[in-house]
Amino acid sequence: MKIQMRSVLLLSAALMAPVALAAPASAQAVTSNAQIVQGLQASVADVPNVSAEALRGLAVAHMKYTGPPESRPPLAIQLDQLAQINVEIEFDLNSAMIKPSSYRTLGSIADAMHNPILLGYKFLVVGNTDTTGTREINLKLSQERADAVMQALATTFRVDPRRLQAVGLGEENLQDVKHPQAAINRRVQIFNLGSTGVLAP
Amino acid sequence: MKLRGLAFAVLIALGAAGAAGSAQAQTMSYAQAAGLLAQHCGEDIMKVCRGQNLGNGAIYNCLSQNVSRLSPACAANHEGIRQMTEARAAAQLEVHKVCDRDRAQYCPGLVPGDGNIVSCLLEASKVVSQACTSALINAGYNQQ
Repeated sequence: MKIQMRSVLLLSAALMAPVALAAPASAQAVTSNAQIVQGLQASVADVPNVSAEALRGLAVAHMKYTGPPESRPPLAIQLDQLAQINVEIEFDLNSAMIKPSSYRTLGSIADAMHNPILLGYKFLVVGNTDTTGTREINLKLSQERADAVMQALATTFRVDPRRLQAVGLGEENLQDVKHPQAAINRRVQIFNLGSTGVLAP
Repeated sequence: MKLRGLAFAVLIALGAAGAAGSAQAQTMSYAQAAGLLAQHCGEDIMKVCRGQNLGNGAIYNCLSQNVSRLSPACAANHEGIRQMTEARAAAQLEVHKVCDRDRAQYCPGLVPGDGNIVSCLLEASKVVSQACTSALINAGYNQQ
């Protein structure tokens, strides 16, 4: 039997948690592989229709709000209902290169996606930046980073590419709008987008 | 022959993995293999392959093409670690071939490509064939 999860699960998968990495103080947890699986388990039967493309459109539209981060409205989308995890993946400065210190975390995400409980589901990889740098560059960089994570999952770790989508939201979906340059905003999120249905082998 | 590059560390890690699990898998998890790559080659990658990514074989190709510039630990291990990742991937593919008859027999209604097949096979673990059971173990599917 499937364990029913609460509707919102935010786990900080600080698997490697190098000391220098400031983990969000409020959500810090050493997360096991089992916890990643649990966090990503579908919590609602009827997953709202979310796609990388729709989110990209919302992020671009959001850039019209030019005031300080605190004054911008949140992205007009209900992501909270989706089973999700926040992961800390370290990238090289101003680059989409995933640092080797985060390889194990990536491998753990892949193991979770290959876990029998999650094999029938598809996932969205979302990249986010803080507000350092221009919004346009942040949008582009976060897309490249989300793509890099998806590519590693789909090729090196053989998660079926039909189960994966990636989008970068730049600085348009800050977790902490009061501290727009805080580390907590620089995060990769993974969402369960619901059942894949039957995928032709 | 293929496993010649497989150095001690990999074997020790695999041994630990086998001992920790209830059954002896011949493969290790993606997390373990990726962790070993970072451990043995992390500094080399930042030095020799900076800007490249794990996906699409880019890091593997970079390390292979620059063996003379690698630290001894990385040079000795990276090929073996790659093979452990490939072994896990092959084992996961293999399940669907090896267990196909078990699927047809014990999971009626589930067609190839259905994500629920592995869960069904695990639930039927008492009756599925020995070959299928071994395939499930090597794929890491029994580690719940």
